Amino acid sequence: MSRKPQTKKHKAPAKAAKTVKGTKRAKRPVKLDAVTLEVIRNALPAVANEMAADLQRTSYNMMIYEVRDFCTALVDPKGQLISQNVGGVSHFVADLGVVIVDGMKRYGEKGFKPGDVIITNHQAVAGQHLNNVVIYMPYFHRGELLMFSMVRAHWIDVGGTSTGFGAGPQVADPWLEGLQLDQLKIYREGELDEQLYRVLKDNIRFPESSLGDMKSQMAACRLAARRMDELFNKYGRDTMLAAIARIFDETEQKCRNVVAQLPDGVYEATASIDDDGVKKGEAVPIKVKVTVEGSSMTIDLSECSPERKAGINSRTLAGARVAYKALTGPLDPVNEGSFRALEVIIPEGNIMMAKFPAPMSGWSAIVPTVVDSIVHALAKAMPDRVPAGHHGLLGGAVVFFGMHPKTGRRFVVQSLEGGGWGGRPYEDGESGTVSVCQGDVRNGSIEGIELKCPVLVESRGLRRDSCGAGKYRGGLGIDMRVRNLVDGHWNFEQTRRTKCPPWGLWGGTAGETGGYLLRRPEESEFQTMAGARIAVPVNAAAIVRTGGGGGWGDPCERDPAKVAEDVREELISREKARELYGVVLGDDMVIDHDATVALRRDMKEQRKAYRVEDAGA
Amino acid sequence: VITVAIDIGGTFTDLVGFDDRAKRFTEAKSLTTPHNLVQGIIDCIRKSALTAEKIDELIHGSTIAINTLIERKGAKTALVVTTGTRDVYIIGRGNRPESYNLLFHKHRPLVPRHLTKEVGGRVIAGGDVLEELDAAGVAAAAAALKAEGVEAVAVCFLHSYANPDHERAAGDIIRAALPDAYLSLSHEILREYREFERTSTTAVNAYIGPKVGGYVRSLKQSLGGVGFAGDLSIMRSNGGVMTPEMAQERPVAMMESGPVGGIIASARVGEKLGYGNVISFDMGGTTAKTSLIRDGEPTMAPGYYVGGYASGHPVMVPMIDVVEVGAGGGSIAWRDDIGALKVGPHSSGADPGPICYRGGGSEPTITDANVVLGRLDPHNFLGGTMVLDADGAAKGIEDKIAKPLGMSVNGAAEAILEIAINKMSLAVREVSVEKGYDPRDFVLVASGGAGPLHVLAIARELHIPTVIVPLFPSHFSALGMLLADERHDFIRTFYADLADVDFARLVEVHDEMVAEAEAGLRHAKGAERQVHLDLRYMGQEFTLPVAVTLQQLKKPDRKGIRTAFDKLYEHRYAHHSPDEPVEMVNIRLAMVGKRPKLKFPTLRKRGKAAPLRRRPVYFDSDKPVACPIYARLALTASARIAGPALIEEHGTTTVLHKGDVCGVAPSGELIISVGGAR
Repeated sequence: MSRKPQTKKHKAPAKAAKTVKGTKRAKRPVKLDAVTLEVIRNALPAVANEMAADLQRTSYNMMIYEVRDFCTALVDPKGQLISQNVGGVSHFVADLGVVIVDGMKRYGEKGFKPGDVIITNHQAVAGQHLNNVVIYMPYFHRGELLMFSMVRAHWIDVGGTSTGFGAGPQVADPWLEGLQLDQLKIYREGELDEQLYRVLKDNIRFPESSLGDMKSQMAACRLAARRMDELFNKYGRDTMLAAIARIFDETEQKCRNVVAQLPDGVYEATASIDDDGVKKGEAVPIKVKVTVEGSSMTIDLSECSPERKAGINSRTLAGARVAYKALTGPLDPVNEGSFRALEVIIPEGNIMMAKFPAPMSGWSAIVPTVVDSIVHALAKAMPDRVPAGHHGLLGGAVVFFGMHPKTGRRFVVQSLEGGGWGGRPYEDGESGTVSVCQGDVRNGSIEGIELKCPVLVESRGLRRDSCGAGKYRGGLGIDMRVRNLVDGHWNFEQTRRTKCPPWGLWGGTAGETGGYLLRRPEESEFQTMAGARIAVPVNAAAIVRTGGGGGWGDPCERDPAKVAEDVREELISREKARELYGVVLGDDMVIDHDATVALRRDMKEQRKAYRVEDAGA
Repeated sequence: VITVAIDIGGTFTDLVGFDDRAKRFTEAKSLTTPHNLVQGIIDCIRKSALTAEKIDELIHGSTIAINTLIERKGAKTALVVTTGTRDVYIIGRGNRPESYNLLFHKHRPLVPRHLTKEVGGRVIAGGDVLEELDAAGVAAAAAALKAEGVEAVAVCFLHSYANPDHERAAGDIIRAALPDAYLSLSHEILREYREFERTSTTAVNAYIGPKVGGYVRSLKQSLGGVGFAGDLSIMRSNGGVMTPEMAQERPVAMMESGPVGGIIASARVGEKLGYGNVISFDMGGTTAKTSLIRDGEPTMAPGYYVGGYASGHPVMVPMIDVVEVGAGGGSIAWRDDIGALKVGPHSSGADPGPICYRGGGSEPTITDANVVLGRLDPHNFLGGTMVLDADGAAKGIEDKIAKPLGMSVNGAAEAILEIAINKMSLAVREVSVEKGYDPRDFVLVASGGAGPLHVLAIARELHIPTVIVPLFPSHFSALGMLLADERHDFIRTFYADLADVDFARLVEVHDEMVAEAEAGLRHAKGAERQVHLDLRYMGQEFTLPVAVTLQQLKKPDRKGIRTAFDKLYEHRYAHHSPDEPVEMVNIRLAMVGKRPKLKFPTLRKRGKAAPLRRRPVYFDSDKPVACPIYARLALTASARIAGPALIEEHGTTTVLHKGDVCGVAPSGELIISVGGAR
């Protein structure tokens, strides 16, 4: 390595110099040159991403390798996020630091030794469903505890009443949900705690899968330690810590630069979930208030529902953080600085700050709607970057299970089908894509599903007319139709938002919502269905239906040629073209220009007559 | 025998020829003519002074396939699919790799929905027929597509990888109805499960088929027109070559035919010099590419995403695994909104180019930094055909980088190079360290116009002890094509527990693949077979390819295969599970038809290296070193040069730092021992 060129020290960015409580600066100022800083800035996310790639490839359960329901990270002993992988489930961007703060409280700085491996999922701190098991290991450099490498990953089973995606909302408390692990050392200085291991093994349904995943999680943590050794040995402790502190500051500043451009003000939006899954028909309100002041943003979720007696509670900042990240720096790596200029207000006892032992089995169910509501609230502040509402559910879960007659083994069909996204300020929304809280989450391939499980996928198709209309229309939802070739059980349980469909923006209309339908062999029509573990005989068929995205802008301003193209592509029907867009097509599908102009004029007149205030949010 | 390779790149068309009787190389370069690529090739041959009649074999790599796709200039394409799967191609896997991006883009299908036709007939997993093909439905779809005037048709039915009968039958009906349309059947392109990826690969093949097919035909014709009567071969993404006929059938296989040439050349050069483990490093104008070669074999990837993972087209055709980063000579140095210094991925390209090219470029680039530091001679660039603007480069770096960051101009130029070097080192790490290989066990082979300028700094960063700068580093891809063998890759999904695999059936499948492979080979005699099984622990999704022999399949050696998998897994992921059941997913066959080896000449002259002159060059300091400059052409086999020193040749300069010691192989390559590497 060559010598570094002389540099003048950067002037610390004005606001970023203020640090959050508990952040100590290195006493002796370390000179950081532009090159070293940039090199370390590139290296840290590379470590987290490498951990993620290894975990994903070696894991045993589709929640990790397809749904990517995990995160890998480095966190300092104060709970500050040094680096995290990008690309997986978005809502894992929050809630890692609290685990370390709690661990430090439990064990103290001296309580961690090289070779220790800690396992934890306890909801009093972790605040998520118990399937999300955190494995973490302390990292020492020359005997000093400098950080922790961590992997939080969704285990396919943690005991309790259910398996797979996690227990349903009816699970009334954490004891029913499964094994609670509260900051336990599964390894002490490299020595396996055999008894704890046996407790785990004997109390979960698929120990080979989950304990295989634990192995992968530990391997990823060790990999991080090797990479950190290389970096610390090369640059030295002081330079590394100074660089990390500087990266936090600069990341914060970048976010502030974005927020500073928004007009100061208070922005609000509301949405609702149909019910919490236990008290049927009682809506769960979601109300968000976003305050922009200079370069700071406050997201206040106090007006969201209080905690429920149903498993849709959580303790998480994820809703606010995912939205903030998407608006301030969607493509940049994540670190503590990404959220320093954000204040999140959620009072104790709120549905997203629920107190142990409130049930949390479906902890993330409402998060996509919360994220979308925050984005929605800011539509007026950033009109050129906010799309209309998306399908908004973690949804489209295809879950059918039973016993394979050929192998005698249990099987589970699992796939997550995406829905429509909202129209955007410059273009239509995307169709059939997972929610804002799911990133690189892939559906199961039809051939892969049929190779593994005795079902026939009869179709996976776009739902015509499921999209909201607009100058830029929403994306389309999906119908996935599956016939079971053996008897078994379907899970038709999901969060519903039929009373608050994916909203349009600036005059666009809402998208359609999704749901489940079932046709038993003796029936001729599909019926709407809901519920867990619904027993069905051979040759029943189910439709897993996802919603469409809302439209952006006045549909009458959509280029008639685009409307005609959508009809030709059979994305919207000729009737809807006329009814929603005012575009009249002849039997030959050619636009009748005069009729279209006249119809659109009438539609605008009519709308003026009753429109008071529907200008967007 | 005269063998010629022609590589069409974004900017230049390169030619390298070798006459093995006269033991003489020929090289030529001409500007790529995007509107008439074939003419560019003919021009390049003319420029080389080779007589077309005397060329025995011509190997060609071209960007035509990938450009047709990226520029979306392919045929009007239709898709015929199983009932219920019309939208599989549009929906894809439903994922959003850019997880915080609200304005993300999915792939943009090459076939509109109204040209996607569903037909009845259903094959199930394992290949059994649940419902016979609806031949009338196929005929009706074909008639409708004919009325639409489609130029290409892709057919992809569910589970056709296991039973292609329905696809074949549908293909016959479509061919009869649309005799002039280009037709691709998915099982002929890819016999692997996962319908979206197979559909995408087949659609890409059909979409680019007519244009690439026309190109290959026209190339053959034009070459014939100037008297060429030898064999024409087309370079493919897997590092091998194929006949023009096969290229017309499977144009998707030549998608990355350019960059792989350099990797093949790196492998051969390494082999010749006694290094089986090689990392190739090719740095051009806009990107740097790196790839790992182990025991003389390049690493293969089962496929990739054209246009990037987030919004690209999956093309699941085996290709050499390359990691590419946005760092080339033209990469721009800039400061982001918080003032951090960044290099790339934006490039000034060929137009306007770096500031020093005087083409109107105003953003400082890596090339400008090299000029400022004296590592590139403004008066001896491309053999002196272009005088570089050193003052302009210095001023650009001063204004845009040095002043705002409070650095000296030289310091800023050094910083730009260091950041670029770090980025490239991360790429080299990605192909080595992250796959479980220690870069210290490899030699680094540098090519591309900018490769030898930076390679020693990268080697030092990764503790790689030896660097090789080959002959013709700036024509290296073309050189690699001269050396490439024929290679055809085949895959079949064969899904079973390893414990229950019907090995007799597996051997049959193997033999079918071999027969198919041999039919496409020119050099079938002595052809080499590589067989891999894609294995995983039961419950996992991702597989590792485990090399097996035919004897192991015939025996069958379940235990040996199993152990090999455990070992490979341990190597890659640092743990394994010998008690877990193992599952087989695919069998792969690579058939390599050996082309005759070329015997390159050796350097005869003896004598010490003497510098041409000295020039001030900056190394890690604001004080220049009076650096000796050597001409590569004048070096002899016994030359020994200690850094700091520059070795100049047409198209590139090798930069030796203090501590580096350069020797010359009898065959002409520079072999440099890296100072401070261990």
